[in-house]
Amino acid sequence: MSQPIRVMFVDDEERILRSLALQFRRDYEVLVESDPRRALERLKSEPVHVLVSDQRMPQMSGSELLAQAAELQPNAVRILLTGYSDLDAAIEALNSGGIFRYLTKPWEPREMAATLRQAGEIAALRQRQATPAAPRPVSAEALNLLLLDADPLTLECVGAFCSEGGHRLLRADNLSEALRQLNEERVDLLVSDLKLGGADTAPLLKSLAQAHPRLLSLVVTPFRDTQALLALINEAQIFRYLPKPIRKGMFDKGLRAAAEQALLYRAQPEQVVTRLADAPRSQPERERVGSLLGMLGRLRERLSA
Amino acid sequence: MEVVPALGRLLRRVEPLQAQVSISDVADRLLRPEHTAVLSLPVVDADGRPLGLVSRSTLQDIFMQRFGRDLWGRKPVSEVMNPAPLVVSLDTSLEEAARQITAQLQSPIRDDFVLVDEQGLYQGLGTVLDLLKAMEHRVAQRNRVLRKALVDLKESQTQLVQSEKMASLGQMVAGVAHELNTPLGYVKNNVQLLRELTRPLLELADAQAALGDCLADPACAEDDLARALEEAGRLRELAAPELLAEDLEQLFADTGYGLQQIGELVVGLKDFARLDRAMSEEIDLNDCIRSALVIARNSIKDKAEVHQQLGELPRIACAPSQINQVLLNLLTNAAQAMEGFGRIQVKSWSENGQVLISVQDNGCGMPREVLERIFDPFYTTKPVGQGTGLGLSISFKIIQDHGGNIRVVSEPGRGTRFLISLPCSGAEELKRSA
Repeated sequence: MSQPIRVMFVDDEERILRSLALQFRRDYEVLVESDPRRALERLKSEPVHVLVSDQRMPQMSGSELLAQAAELQPNAVRILLTGYSDLDAAIEALNSGGIFRYLTKPWEPREMAATLRQAGEIAALRQRQATPAAPRPVSAEALNLLLLDADPLTLECVGAFCSEGGHRLLRADNLSEALRQLNEERVDLLVSDLKLGGADTAPLLKSLAQAHPRLLSLVVTPFRDTQALLALINEAQIFRYLPKPIRKGMFDKGLRAAAEQALLYRAQPEQVVTRLADAPRSQPERERVGSLLGMLGRLRERLSA
Repeated sequence: MEVVPALGRLLRRVEPLQAQVSISDVADRLLRPEHTAVLSLPVVDADGRPLGLVSRSTLQDIFMQRFGRDLWGRKPVSEVMNPAPLVVSLDTSLEEAARQITAQLQSPIRDDFVLVDEQGLYQGLGTVLDLLKAMEHRVAQRNRVLRKALVDLKESQTQLVQSEKMASLGQMVAGVAHELNTPLGYVKNNVQLLRELTRPLLELADAQAALGDCLADPACAEDDLARALEEAGRLRELAAPELLAEDLEQLFADTGYGLQQIGELVVGLKDFARLDRAMSEEIDLNDCIRSALVIARNSIKDKAEVHQQLGELPRIACAPSQINQVLLNLLTNAAQAMEGFGRIQVKSWSENGQVLISVQDNGCGMPREVLERIFDPFYTTKPVGQGTGLGLSISFKIIQDHGGNIRVVSEPGRGTRFLISLPCSGAEELKRSA
């Protein structure tokens, strides 16, 4: 029997904590904290599989807590649960906290249960993998980066990053060209705007999250839309969201972190899914993702071969 | 269409005289009906350049002298004309012409002025009266334009004030809507939990009722009774009502509390907007403070703790929704001034026939050059697109309209304090102006 899954909830409203604890006490070992600073203290000594945090708390914001928790327990799966739609908080929670889901209050009890189940499985898997070997030496292998953005500034940053790290830079100006590249090459990193040649790239990103969970997507975009970001986190499992105009330092940091993660994935021989995306909520988008998945068929075959 | 220069409209094409024409002839000409409107006649040289003006009053002066006509009548007009008349080019603007003419005008007005083309050739005469009429017309036109501009300006000001109000209202509604999500979150979850937790209780009740039926029925078979007994025992264990009691109690209490919170927020929103009340009434300003604090709570709670020190206040006549707008503005400003987690102190008291409210923060404070301008319309230290720069200027206006005043002291790094004072007896004036 494997060890029970430990889930920690952090929220300044005790009633939220009581409600969640009562809902999940049968399925998990549930820890609750109403003060994020105390939660951080506990995380120093108590390992958890899943950490669910509120955003607006008096002592510390949820995204800040999740970012610090990511340092303390990188293998725990982090989830933001908030009643506010706050773009900056969501960006910080994704870019620094590496969140798995952005959930909104009031939540659907069944969806919350499903999300925690997925999160628990992923965390258990990550921890099993992490235990045998200490941080293995990562060789400086060349990666393939596909750029889906015509912006010269993005190209400049990505180009510099690739030539410095010895990575291969692939480019596409439209979706079908992108699909061709994705089917022919083993793409590790994807840098994409939300628009490519007039087309919306979100369905492609969402399809890739399902067809190729190890591909890391960095989104660079001038749009500031919380709902769109929320969907990209939950349904496309994007790695970074960088608002345009891009800040070179942040972009570079994101690319480096993505490359490091991609090398780790390459070093793991077995097909282990440590990322898992929700199906898109809107029907037309689900259909679009379905058809894109068909077109990405060759990619899937090759990956599972 | 030919473009008529501004002075063209004033042009009177009076036939000019040659320098040698006799004074007597000039006098006759002045009497002709086409010359009744002019005060003088022009004299030009052979090329048509103006040499001077001979005015009616000069001739009158001459002829009023004894034997004047006999002595002077045959002399050329050049001897009595004004050799330095006012000459204005036709392409001069009306304003410039008026400036030149009034600068040299003498009282009484004896002369007209000469209008010339670009080459300086005589074109006609202009009269001061025509010029005045043209100026008056121009001024009236300007006034119309200015009046329209003023109306437009007032309208756009009203629109700006309205949009500022809508912006703060929208911000507030969005904040409260989001705040509702927290109690909604646990209330919704709790109701689902209560449904799940009570299901085994209902099943247990059914099983116990069946067992009761068996016991009451003498014809009930031993087997059936045993089965009913066993079923009731099994469900009792499953439902564990003694363990459940505490959970249920807690869930009901939390759910009740959550619903109360939701109710308070909705009432707070309604009180805040006061759309259902009269424009002006006797109000306890502490109620305004409390309702603004409920509304502002969501934007404050992660930035500062709020300390209230509300003294007893006489009720005063005011427009509560406007006062609420001022208080919300001060509170959210205070929260935004925080670097790290701070403290906001709200005090109210009354003294010397005045009600005083102070909102003090220990945020970043303001340097003097900012402090001097904070009540100016459109002055903002926020980036473009965030904030209209009207919040405090509207607050200032609202308090002023209530016959009170709003003062501010601030120190960079230490914090800021706003002090509102409102007269207790402002009632009558406000009712009249409202």
